[in-house]
Amino acid sequence: MRPLRQLTAIGVISLAAAAATYAIKGPPLRRLICDPASLKADEVCLSQIPATARTLWVDARSRLAWQQSGVPGSVLWNLDPTEDMQAFEADVALHIVDTPQVIVYCSDENCGVSHQVADRIRKLQLGAQVSVLQGGWRALNEAGLTRR
Amino acid sequence: MKIAIVISWMLAAVAHAAGLEFAELLKEVHAAPDAARVVAEFNFTNHSKKPARLANSDPGCSCLKVEVTDGKLNYAPGESGMLRATFEMGNFSGTIDKNIALWINDDPADEPSVKLTVRVHIPVLVNLEPKTLKWVIGGKPEPQTIHIQMASEKPIRVINVKSSSSAFTYEVKTIKDGKAYDLIVTPVAMEVPGISVLRIETDCAFAKHRAQQAFALLQKP
Repeated sequence: MRPLRQLTAIGVISLAAAAATYAIKGPPLRRLICDPASLKADEVCLSQIPATARTLWVDARSRLAWQQSGVPGSVLWNLDPTEDMQAFEADVALHIVDTPQVIVYCSDENCGVSHQVADRIRKLQLGAQVSVLQGGWRALNEAGLTRR
Repeated sequence: MKIAIVISWMLAAVAHAAGLEFAELLKEVHAAPDAARVVAEFNFTNHSKKPARLANSDPGCSCLKVEVTDGKLNYAPGESGMLRATFEMGNFSGTIDKNIALWINDDPADEPSVKLTVRVHIPVLVNLEPKTLKWVIGGKPEPQTIHIQMASEKPIRVINVKSSSSAFTYEVKTIKDGKAYDLIVTPVAMEVPGISVLRIETDCAFAKHRAQQAFALLQKP
């Protein structure tokens, strides 16, 4: 019987500590945290991009999402087979001439489409420096850089 | 006290393991050049001691349809099922990964506990190498070549080339009829940066392979 009482005590103490933490510090912080040390080779954190850098933003989400809430000045390149991939290629190529720094974003840190789009842009062999934004659109939105 | 701590650990472990286990998280599919859609099947089993519910799925694209055997969403311990993903390929070629997020039981909205990937390989019938030709401003306007190779048993011929810009001239040379061609491109002037989109049209029987694009780029040093 003692283990049961002790188990109950552990549960009660844990709940009390959690309630106290919530009361003092508030609900858990849901903001995206990007740690440069944990990035893959071709990824960047938003904080690493100088505000003055000329960047070609490539939105890898759906056309509707891009139109509603993309980064102003961004271009679209997603992997929806109903889209015209050659039109995406040509559009990005025409922009890369003036802006060879390219950063691709999709919806959030769980989305893998941006890496595939970045690979497709690299395969164009236009000499652009192509990166993927860790945290994607969510990071940009939290920073107030998206269309509202 | 030790017994109580061990019990609390066990309870936490059981709660964490309550879900469906998939035999494979990645399925590779090799499609025919003219295939309109491909299907990948994922088998799963509820290896936990609690019922598991397929609460939600997100294929991330209207091109991917996800179905479960008989539409069944609840699985008793030990019970198995199969998830079928159908990918409408549109005009894709090359390799593409399509991801499916699955929420089991009470997974948080931003943390699906299962992520499946369908990797589709679609053959490229008209290969361009390189895809882009580059010159540097102030350099010599020497011609460069894009090699066009057909990866098909049936002959595929280049029937036309269009350029988006008059800053480059081009000429198509037949190396082996229906099999290999060279596209020779030359810049007209070397003063101003610019790019031309070269659209190479063929008589390929499959519409999505028929036209390809290459680029000619005159860039700053």
